Amino acid sequence: MMDRSKLRARDVVSTSVVGLRSRRGRTALTALGIAIGIASMVAVVGISSSSKAALIAQLDSLGTNLLRVEASSTGISIEPLPIEAEPMIRRVENVDAAAAVISTEFEVRRNDRDTNVVGINAMAASPELFETLRVDTTAGRPLDDGLRALPVVVLGDVAAIRLGITDLEGGPVIDVGGQDFVVVGILDELPLNPDISRKVLIGDQAAIELLGVEPNPTAIYVRVDPDLINETRPLLAPTAHPGRPAKVDVSRPSDLLEARAEVDQNLQNLLLALGGVALLVGGVGIANVMVISVLERRGEIGLRRALGATRGHIRSQFVLEAALLSGLGGVLGILLGSGITIGYARRQGWVVDLPPLALASGLGAALVIGMLAGFYPAAKAARLDPALAVSGGSN
Amino acid sequence: MTRASDTAVLELEGVHRTYPGSPPVNALVGVDLRIEAGEMVAVVGPSGSGKSTLLNIMGTLDRPTEGRLLIEGTDTSKLSDRRLSGLRSARLGFVFQSFHLIETLSALDNVAAGLLYRGTSGRQRREMAQIALEKVGLGDRLHARPTKLSGGQRQRVAIARAIVAEPSLILADEPTGNLDTATGDGIVDLLKQLNADGSTIVVITHDADLAAQLPRQIEVRDGAVRQRAVDQ
Repeated sequence: MMDRSKLRARDVVSTSVVGLRSRRGRTALTALGIAIGIASMVAVVGISSSSKAALIAQLDSLGTNLLRVEASSTGISIEPLPIEAEPMIRRVENVDAAAAVISTEFEVRRNDRDTNVVGINAMAASPELFETLRVDTTAGRPLDDGLRALPVVVLGDVAAIRLGITDLEGGPVIDVGGQDFVVVGILDELPLNPDISRKVLIGDQAAIELLGVEPNPTAIYVRVDPDLINETRPLLAPTAHPGRPAKVDVSRPSDLLEARAEVDQNLQNLLLALGGVALLVGGVGIANVMVISVLERRGEIGLRRALGATRGHIRSQFVLEAALLSGLGGVLGILLGSGITIGYARRQGWVVDLPPLALASGLGAALVIGMLAGFYPAAKAARLDPALAVSGGSN
Repeated sequence: MTRASDTAVLELEGVHRTYPGSPPVNALVGVDLRIEAGEMVAVVGPSGSGKSTLLNIMGTLDRPTEGRLLIEGTDTSKLSDRRLSGLRSARLGFVFQSFHLIETLSALDNVAAGLLYRGTSGRQRREMAQIALEKVGLGDRLHARPTKLSGGQRQRVAIARAIVAEPSLILADEPTGNLDTATGDGIVDLLKQLNADGSTIVVITHDADLAAQLPRQIEVRDGAVRQRAVDQ
């Protein structure tokens, strides 16, 4: 005769579910521990991924083919670039556009106020600057050849806010170096060139003729063929200053944005590790609760053994209970983490990017932690002496 | 393994059970016992006499230190945990003093749990559970939770669970121990009825009055068995 003890797969699951449902409050609290761990990990990955997606989208729209040529700032005095630098660079192969700017020390004031506006300086620019930087105006218009020599200014967006000028209603006028300049435009944001955001831009001829600014450019912005940046970049310094190319720096403003993404990576790893610690603590919580549960349920374990459960059946019941508990926490955590990510990304105006792999590994991690946490209590349950377990005592 | 027609449902041969310790406790000392199909046997004795140990060994929940237990001719001492569990699920039914019902399950599901480890389908388990509950007189309380049932009704649910798999032997450990006299009598009547319908039943009790109602009594004292009467 071969009496085999067998438990159907679906009955294994329903047996474990019964165990969890009979202790709802405890189940919810224990799952919460795992949920917090998973939620923080999902939110960290989701937010940084959404942020990166937003950054990449921004870089794509701004273009990574903008270069900045400027006089090297090492040494005591900065020697500006030669006047011919801009037309020379424009002649280099694969250069699509180039525009020179001249930094000045002139502080800008509103005429009707006496105090200086700290940190806002005038900058002379050639009209090609706006096309080269691909910047639009939020009000008015940029400088062009017709305005190049006139006492007019275009405000960077930050400069406009500092000056308290948000529109061109009533034709605002500002004071630069003791002279009146009419504001004709306000620039849109310049994520790649935050320094320009803080400037008041004057036509280069107006700056030279009205304010006596030296005509040598302090920087030249260069837009090059996106596919030939690496080939073109080394040509710019010798072209700008044939005699002393070492005195010229060539940088790529988009590198700064990308570097910011890299810095975020370290922070992300730290936060992930914290989430991992929360997850481990949650796992220990599960192990703890399961050990208590095994002690409390000696009678049930004894009964199941009397009904024909093998040690293996008891073990799988408790391992599965732990895994379900943890899986429940995992699902909760994914929902919570996704919610946090969506909320945060919406506030930041980002596209939500929740990598499916991160969600799947969140759930997977929860299940693995749960099973690991369940092994010890389950082994304890399986080892219980059925005779002692049914009587709940000795004899 | 061949089964002779005169094979006993249960047979103990020279069973000793010693619990380790200092000094070791000899709970059973050389028990020989034979229970035939269709019998109803009372095992009596004061507490500490070894009758609970005897029940655990008869129910394969505990193993003899020495000697052997045969259930329908199968020597259980050589069986693995898996085989022994299978044997329990198929051939033995248990009734406990404290009922051991799962509180979150209905009466029907508690009884159906008696077939859980036989691999029976859920639907069939419930069908058989309903028949068993009707047999113990609880056909109208199928979906009640144990907390909504009286003590006597709970013990009936437990008895239904013990008989649902149609075991060869039912082992009842102090089945009336948690019940008042009138309710206990009802449970004893039910067990007698089941015996009359063909079930082999062993009742462990310290209640001499209860034991006196049953056709055969086995007295356990200091780990040894004394047979009082054999009404065969």
